[in-house]
This record gives sequence, structure tokens and C-alpha cells, in this order.
Amino acid sequence: MGSRPGPRLPRALRRVAGGFAVPLGSVIFAFIVGALLVAITGGDPLQAYSGLLCGGLGIACANGENSALQISTTIVYFTPLIMAGVAVALPFRAGLFNIGAEGQFLAGAVACTFIGVKFSNLPAPILLPMVLLGGMVGGAIWAGIPGVLKATVGAHEVVTTIMLNYVAQWLIRYLIVGGPLQLPHGFSVSSPIGAGARLPSFLPNDNSLVIFGLPAGVYRVHTGLLIAIAALAVFAILLWRTSLGYEIRAVGQSQRAARYAGISVPRTIIVTMLISGAFAGLAGAIQIAGVDHNLTDKYFNDTTGFDAIAVALLGLGSAVGILLASILFGALHAGGAVMQQDAGISSSLVQVLQALILFSIAANFLRVLRARFPSFGRRPSAPAPEAPAAALMTEAAKAPPEESPP
Amino acid sequence: MSAEPTDNVGVNLAVDMRGITKAWPGVVANDHVDFSVRAGEIHALVGENGAGKSTLMNILYGLVRSDSGEIIVNGKPARINGPRDAIALGIGMVHQHFMLIPVFTVGENIMLGREPVAGPGFYDYTRARKDIEELTKKYGLRLDPDARTGDLPVGLQQRAEIVKVLYRGANLLVLDEPTGVLTPQETVELFGILRDLIKGGKTIIFISHKLKEVLEISDRITVMRRGKVVGHLTTKKTNEQEIATMMVGRAVLLRVDKKPAKPGAVAFRVENLTANSDRGVQALRGISFELRQGEILGIAGVEGNGQSELVEVLAGTRRATGGHVLLGDRDVTVANAREERDAGVGHIPEDRRGVGLILNYSIADNLILGRERASAFSWHGLLLRLDAIRNWAKRLVKEFDIRTPSIETPARALSGGNQQKIIVAREMGTRPRVLLAAQPTRGVDIGAIEFIHRRLVAERDEGTAVLLVSAELDEIRSLSDRIAVMYEGRIVSFEPADTDEARLGLLMTGGGTGAKTGAA
Amino acid sequence: MTFLGDIAHVLATADLWRLTLEAAALLLLPALGGVISERSGVVNIAMEGMMLTGAFFSVVADLAWHNPWAAALVGIIAGGLMALIHAVVSIRFRADQIVSGIAINIFAAGLTVFLVNRLYGLADVGHVGQANLLPYINVPLLDQIPFLGRVLFQQNVVVYAALILLVVVHLVLFRTRLGLRIRAVGEHPQAADTAGINVYVIRYGAVITSGLLSGLAGAFLAIGISNTFVPNMTDGRGYIALAAMIFGKWTPFGAFVACLIFGLGQAIYDNNSIIHVSQYLLSMLPYVLTLVVLAGVVGRSIPPAADGIPYAPENE
Repeated sequence: MGSRPGPRLPRALRRVAGGFAVPLGSVIFAFIVGALLVAITGGDPLQAYSGLLCGGLGIACANGENSALQISTTIVYFTPLIMAGVAVALPFRAGLFNIGAEGQFLAGAVACTFIGVKFSNLPAPILLPMVLLGGMVGGAIWAGIPGVLKATVGAHEVVTTIMLNYVAQWLIRYLIVGGPLQLPHGFSVSSPIGAGARLPSFLPNDNSLVIFGLPAGVYRVHTGLLIAIAALAVFAILLWRTSLGYEIRAVGQSQRAARYAGISVPRTIIVTMLISGAFAGLAGAIQIAGVDHNLTDKYFNDTTGFDAIAVALLGLGSAVGILLASILFGALHAGGAVMQQDAGISSSLVQVLQALILFSIAANFLRVLRARFPSFGRRPSAPAPEAPAAALMTEAAKAPPEESPP
Repeated sequence: MSAEPTDNVGVNLAVDMRGITKAWPGVVANDHVDFSVRAGEIHALVGENGAGKSTLMNILYGLVRSDSGEIIVNGKPARINGPRDAIALGIGMVHQHFMLIPVFTVGENIMLGREPVAGPGFYDYTRARKDIEELTKKYGLRLDPDARTGDLPVGLQQRAEIVKVLYRGANLLVLDEPTGVLTPQETVELFGILRDLIKGGKTIIFISHKLKEVLEISDRITVMRRGKVVGHLTTKKTNEQEIATMMVGRAVLLRVDKKPAKPGAVAFRVENLTANSDRGVQALRGISFELRQGEILGIAGVEGNGQSELVEVLAGTRRATGGHVLLGDRDVTVANAREERDAGVGHIPEDRRGVGLILNYSIADNLILGRERASAFSWHGLLLRLDAIRNWAKRLVKEFDIRTPSIETPARALSGGNQQKIIVAREMGTRPRVLLAAQPTRGVDIGAIEFIHRRLVAERDEGTAVLLVSAELDEIRSLSDRIAVMYEGRIVSFEPADTDEARLGLLMTGGGTGAKTGAA
Repeated sequence: MTFLGDIAHVLATADLWRLTLEAAALLLLPALGGVISERSGVVNIAMEGMMLTGAFFSVVADLAWHNPWAAALVGIIAGGLMALIHAVVSIRFRADQIVSGIAINIFAAGLTVFLVNRLYGLADVGHVGQANLLPYINVPLLDQIPFLGRVLFQQNVVVYAALILLVVVHLVLFRTRLGLRIRAVGEHPQAADTAGINVYVIRYGAVITSGLLSGLAGAFLAIGISNTFVPNMTDGRGYIALAAMIFGKWTPFGAFVACLIFGLGQAIYDNNSIIHVSQYLLSMLPYVLTLVVLAGVVGRSIPPAADGIPYAPENE
């Protein structure tokens, strides 16, 4: 859309509320079905969900968990998720499915670690930007390969990005299990990055300081969060306020019209993938620089890039949506661990919930309802999906149309 | 409501539709329509785009369910819930956009859904071929069952559609805008086939907006406007003006008033241009012409003779394989679409929904399509100047009378005519040196057609060089100052604007190049 | 150089090629499913999830009933049910088919681990006894042929089934009325509709069939090749099967050729004790191979014309 809502406030409010209906409905649907699933298999849904609430939001903690710590964990989880969500949402607009955010995330983490270890003696003002930039470059390359393949030979990006995910996962294992990045005398862990490469946390790393009942060093919330928010703003500006963003969206809507307009479709595809790879790689770099400070076997089972797909879809591809969806999935991730501990229900229930959310977003049950009950205020014509994902999101994001002329 | 009751007492009705109503949210497509067709006649159903003719026939064929009304086929009430029911009743439909599968052979397309059986689930292609050959011989429709459908010329594809319908035992054939894609010669052949079919006992419903053809082939005419039937006419007793007036509801200007042209400097010089089509076949075989400022050069020709490719090469969306194009004194042979646009070449593409517009973009966004990096609309090609874009949009919407609630409305929500006006506004709004207009009024209501015609002439009067490509001979003859006829990738002749239709029709099909210009 | 020498050495063994055919058959089943589904116009990237589901439920059934045939049937049906979800979401609700496919894969991954936890608590899933696995069958006489006998005639019963299915699917798609209609629906559903064909029934049938085939593959993996269920044990095979389908230009035999190539990569990896390269680098082989195939060898492949576009007949 060309411009933001003008001074007609009620209509803008209506649009915002309408925009929330689909995602909210999907989340509610998922939780209901999830509860049924738990109940059918002999579990206690209430216990399970209170575990999620506790771990995710620090509420209703039954076993003496520290609320502040839970909230801090959630924040740490959703910080990289924001940028990874952007990495998936941006290509959607161009009609591309970036399922490779995980591989790009890992590539960024590897690049960050490599630079942070190799140049560990450099001071922070030089090393920190270097590692973050390195992460962006690593992710960009990892996304650029499928981008180029798509633009030149038309190789389907779903398959190529997924292949690169697997390659990245094996690459990490290779590097830190008896490989070149392994900490000498360590096992499946890399050398730590230099002190200059570490993102400062919000709370001082001083364990004599006690906050909310725990020593300050326990809270890991770090300044990477600010970078994530900034990245979100860059994404929104890029998409809606720049010529490049206009062209990206045009390619996603209609490649033929884009060509007519003089837009180079292959070039736009490659640029889009490079930029989104950079976002995902930055997420990986920030995870290393802000939290772990080295590559560990934790990264073997990382799911940030996959969660990002759900984030991008649930957030309907908008910056605010991505932020809210990231918080939700970050909370679910943190909550899963507590749920497993307290209620004995596998944290993979969270994955099930995620899938259910995806189903209902994809099916857009609301759209079907509206088709049957046109009084909801929309025309029931289904848009011709030249770029299916883009249609999916622009459908929900477009302004409510007025009465159509005959 | 009908204008006059029709007298069908004692006459055998092939189909009688009574009180048909169908409404979509916001639009009433059919409003208590009464429509009856006598057995053995060719009945024309006429109206503008959006009048409801296609909807009515889709209801007859079962593709759409009506809200109310009844259908009586051969004297018996019928329930038509889908194409299967219609086919069983002997109704066959030849659609405007062919329902053929390009990668299948003609035989496979014809037998689809009614394949002769041989063994457990296998189909008997030999028997199908035999049945098809019998049919084609009976009605004089030469057709090769083993040809790959997508490779056939459009006229033969249409024949395959007709045979498909006959293969299923149709007695009532509905043809939806059948001549839009045919050469004049193919149209003559089609009419011959239709007359043979009538002799063979069939009944035909002929949907069209081409009044000359309707007058030539039909026995009776039903006119629709905005979902209602507004008139029943007997073909022998009526004329073009009367039908057109009924279609639109007011007197219609069939010709544009224009002053004589004052051609100026040469804008485009095209020398020996060659280019290939999407399929790799040579589409342009050495085109040469000059286009001057202040004139409208009309390219006449049946679609598929290279006109589309010519426009695309000139607009920069297709690469030439040889020859030169000079814009003023600048060689633009290899210029791409962006460079052409920046150099002052406007392009109204022939496919407005698929190419000329981004339907989900707002009207404002569509009005800068192709110019999102221009200095007027962006800061150094990076950031968009949203205010400038808004003002530009408001100005154009007013100047070109685009009917829309706001400039933020998605283009999808507008009618065909208004969508076309967006494109016209965008391309004319920047005061181009050259304007390439390909099929600028296709599928557009008469009011918008008149508007666009007037604007094209106005552009020409302001000095723009206009290249007009159209499959509608009337449009070419009424707007052009000079006419170039294209056939099989070449310009076969340059003709003055007042050349008669017969001569143009002959040239368009490759004949008459021996005779000199002016004489018949 | 020893790397290439090792490879050459390994390529000369009959065992490697036997493994190749086995791995190829495992990929072929979901690939055939993909071909059928996409030929009818429904994009299906959920083979991974359907396979995983089939694997899990076949193991659970086998542990309970000690009968590999019934267990395989359970696995097949489980795959079919997963496919039904994809079919309903994609066809009835006209959802974006790629998103739906991804959702199925995530759903299957999460659901199987969740159920493992519910059924077995913190313990691992048990191992199926040797007697209750899908059997390997040595075809008498033919299996004594030197080299080829080992490769072709000492395979698991599912491998033979897969090869038969390969021929069956080809015949059905290209020689029967049903196949003609399936292809029509995938190329131009409106034309098929106006010819009186029920587009929805055909698409549902095709998608569910792809689920049945993937479920069988999962059962083969879990209670044929392996003997237990491990989370995410399909390891991307469903996606590789997709690549095989694209490489094969949506034809059964074309896909089979690709499956053989990918199977070879898999078999080489399984011989990693002989080849002296880090097992992690070797693990990348199947995936890198897929990339190379998609990039270089294939070029532009054209899917069925209406692939991925939900059928909405009452449009303008």
C-alpha cells in the first residue's frame, strides 16, 4: 500500500482490529486442539499450559521458578527470532519461500565465531562490528546460493534452501567435533570469541548484585535486543518506503507486470535473498555475541530458523506482527522446557502448537467464514495467486475495500 | 424486464430460460432474465462487457447456479447442477477462453471425460480417433486428432472445441465470443461451419459484441444491458446503430471526430527489425517504418502476426534479433524497458490485468509503476516520495475521470474500463514523446472506449507520436492517420486511413499485395 | 587421492549397489506420491512428514502386535491420514500449499516425539525383534547370478513392491482414463470441470495416495531397514524425493533415475567406515548432490500448468 492510514482514525482502528482477528483466531484454535491432544493421550492440559505460562511469561509458576528469570529467558529466545522472522517475511513479499533461515542463521553464527576467535585480540569498537558484519555476510552467502540458482536456472528455492539447512547443520558438527574450530582439549565446543566481540548485557555481570532474588549475572538479556528492534524498523522502511521495496513487492505480486515496468526479476530475487540471508545471519551472530560467546552443541538442535517461518506467517509479514509473533514463540520455547519439567509433557507439544497455528493461518479459516457470510464486509473473490505467499499476506493486510462498482 | 414480449406460440423452443436471477455481492449479474431460443436458429446474445451474457450462459451450462428462475429444455423443465447435466441435455459450450489442454493432443482433449474404454481402466485411442474423424467429415471440420493442441493456430483450436462439443452429442451449441481471435478468413470458415451445423439440425447461441458479425450470421438477437434484457430484435429488420443504442442506452458515437494530422519530425525510425516470439519462432521478419510526432500510425492485422512482439521490442520488454530502432537520433535497439520509459516512450500493454497493472496495489502505486526510481517520485532512487506520489495520483484520477472511492483503493476493485484508464493515465500523464498503445480498448465498456479514443487523438494533437495496434478494424480506421498492415511478421502495405474494409481485410490475410495503394 | 581411491574401491562392490537400489526404492515411494499429487495440481512438500508419521505408527503397531504386515498397513494408513489433512487444508480451504506442506512436516515431527513421550515416558522407543521386521527376500535361482543377483534379487519385499508400483503408476498416469483425467485436472482444471470431471475428487484421491505411498516408505525405513523409531529419522528424504520428482520432470521413470543417483550418494555415505573422510563431511553428500542436480543438470523444469493453484471455479 502506498501510504499509512490517514487522519480517519476509526477506520484505521477497524483495520488494525481486523488484522488481528486471523492471527488471534489461529492461536486460540491451536491451543484448543493442543489441549484436546494432551487430554486424549492421558495428560493434564491445565498443568501443561500453566507450565507454558510459567516458563514463557513468568506467570502461574507452581514450582518456585523465578518469574524474572523466565521472562529474561523468553526475551533471550525471541531476540534472534525477530531477525530470523524478517529473513523469512521479506522473501515472501517477493514470492519466495525462504525455508533456509535456519541454515543462514547457523552460517552467521559460524562466521561470527570464526572472526571472533581469529581476531580475538582486537578491541570492541572494531571487533564487534566485524563479527556482526561477518555474520551478515555469512548468512547472505548462504541465502545467495539458492537465490542465484532460482534466478538463473529456476531451481525451486524450497528444496535448495532446505538442502543448505542440512549442509549447515553438518558443517557445524564438522567444525567443532574434532574439527578446525574446536576448543583445544574441548569436545564439541568451539574456542570462545574475544572479549571485544561480546555484546554487553543490560544488567552488569556482577554476581554480588541481587535482582529479583537472583544474582545479576544470571539474567542474559543483552543489547542484541536493540539491534533486533532496529532490524525490524529497517525491514519496515525497506519494504514500504523505498523504491527497492516497491520493486520487491511488485515481483511478488506479478512478475510479468514487474518486467513490463522495467524491473529486473532475477536481480530482484538475488538481492532479496542476500538481504534476508543477512538478517538471518545477523541473528546467528547476535546469538553468539550476546549469549553463548562460542559455538556449542546446543546449535546442533537449534530451531530458530524454523520457528521463524511460523513467526513470519503468524505476523502476516508486517513488522509489528513479527514482533508479537516472536514474543509468542519465544515464550512458547521457554515455556516448553518448564512444561516438560513440571508437567512431564514433551516440549515438542510446542512444535505441534506451531504447526496448528500454521495450518489455520494457511487455511485462513476466517476467509472461508467471510465467503459464507459476506456481511463481514469483504468481497469474496479469491485473488489469483501468482505468488501464493504474497497473496496470502497481502490478502489479510490490504485495506477493507469499499463497495465495488458494477 | 423484456422490452417487448416475443411471440413463441406454436414454435419449437430449444431452450426457454425464465426469470433467471443471479446476484454476486454488490453486483446483480442477471435480473429476472427471460431468454428463449427457437430450434434450428442462430440466436445472438449481445451486450457490453459486464452486461450479464456470459453469466446467463454459464447458468445454462451449469457452471454457475442461478438464485431463481427456471430452465426448460426441449419442452421439459431441467435441473442443471453442473456441466454433466448440461451435456446430458445436449447443451455444449465453446468458451471464449478455450477449455483445451495445450499439452494434450486434439484427440485427448476431445475425448476427455468420455473416453472409449478398452480393458480395465485403459482408454481406446484408436476408437476415439475413428469417432472423431467421422464427426469432422460430417460437418466439414478438417482436424488432425494427433496434433498437439498447443501448437495449433487459434482457428483450429476453436474447431477442436466445436468437435469436442459435438462428440458429446450436443444439439444446442453456445459459442462465447468466438470470432475475437480469428482472422477474417477463419471467421468466414466458421460461419460456413455454423450454417452446416444448422442444416444438420443443431441450434446455435452466439454471444458477441461485434455487431457486424451478429448482423451477418444470426436470425434473431437478444440485447442485454446491466443484467437485464432490454430488447428482442429480428436481424433482418435492424441495424448496427439500433443495436448499439440498445446496448448502451443512449446514442453512441461510432466514429471519433478528429482534425487532420500535422505530422512533425520522425520520432521512431525502425529499420529491418527482426525478433522471435516466446516459442523461439521468428515473429518479426524485417519490419521497417517511420513514426512521426503528431500522427497516429495504426497497425492493422489479426492477432498473432507479430504485432505483440513489435510493440514489446519497441517498449524494451523483448530483445530484437536484428535491425535497428532509432528514437530521434539515439539508437535504442537494445534498450530495456526502463531505459525506454526514461527516454519518453509510453506503453499501454495489451494485457491490462496481467501486465499493465498490479491488481493488489493501490491506484496510486499503480500510477507510478515503472517510475518508482524516477527523481519525481523517489529520493535518489532509494526512498519513495510519498507526498509527490499522492499528489500525482490525485491529479491523474481527476484528469482521466477514473471512478474510484480513493487513490488507496486496490486496482482490483475497479471495473475493466477504469482499470484501463489507470494505465492510460499513467502512460499519458508523463507527456511521452512516443506512445505505444496495444489493444487499448479491449474488453472495455463503451463510455471508456469513447474517452480513451478522445485522449489518444488529443495526445496526437499535442505532438505525441502514437503507434496504435488493434485487432478491431473499426478502431484502426477511425483513429489512424496512416495504416500499416502486418501479416506473418512483415508490413505488407501502408494504406491511407480511408481505405475500405474489404481491402484491409484482404491485406490482413496476405492477399492483394500485388495491387497498388488506393485502388481496390 | 585416497578419497577417490576409496570411492572407486567401494563402487566395485555389489553391496554398494544393493544399498543404492534399496535407498533408491525408499526415495522412490514418496517421489511417486509427489508425482501423482502434483500431476493433479496440488503441490505436496509434506512427504517428509507423512513418511515420518508412517515410520512412527508402524513401529508402535509392530511392537504391540508383533506383525510386520499389519504394522506396515498401519503405517500406510497413518501416512494417508496426514495427507488427508494436507488435502483438506489445500483443496477445501484453498490454503497456500507450500505453507500447508511445511506445517505437516512440523506437525509430524512434533507429534511423533510428543507421542513417544506419552507412550514410553522418558525411555527410548523399543526395538522391534528381527522376526517382526519386513523381510528381505532372496529370489530363488535369480539371486545366484554373480554381482547382479546380489544387487537385484536379495532385496526387501518393499523394494520389489516399489518397483512394481513404479510400473503401475506409469501405466495408470499415461494409459488409463483415470490418468488422463488426473493430468487434465493438473493442467487445466477448468477445462476438466467443463468436461464433466470432478476436480475435487481427483485431487483428494491423488493427495491421499501420495500419503499412502509415503507412509509405506516410512514403514520400510522403520521396520525394514531399521528396527526402531528415532525422532526425525527421515532426515530430509522427503525433500530429496521432491528433488527427484522435479529432476524426473514429474514422470515416474524420470524420478526413478534421480532416486538412483541420490541412492548412490546415500550408499556411499553408509560406507563411511571404508572411506577416510570425516563422517560429517560425508553426511553432507546427499544434500550437496541434490543441490548440484537441481542446479546444473536439470535446468528449467516445467511442472503441470495448474500446479499449486487452488481451484476456484466461481471466479471471474
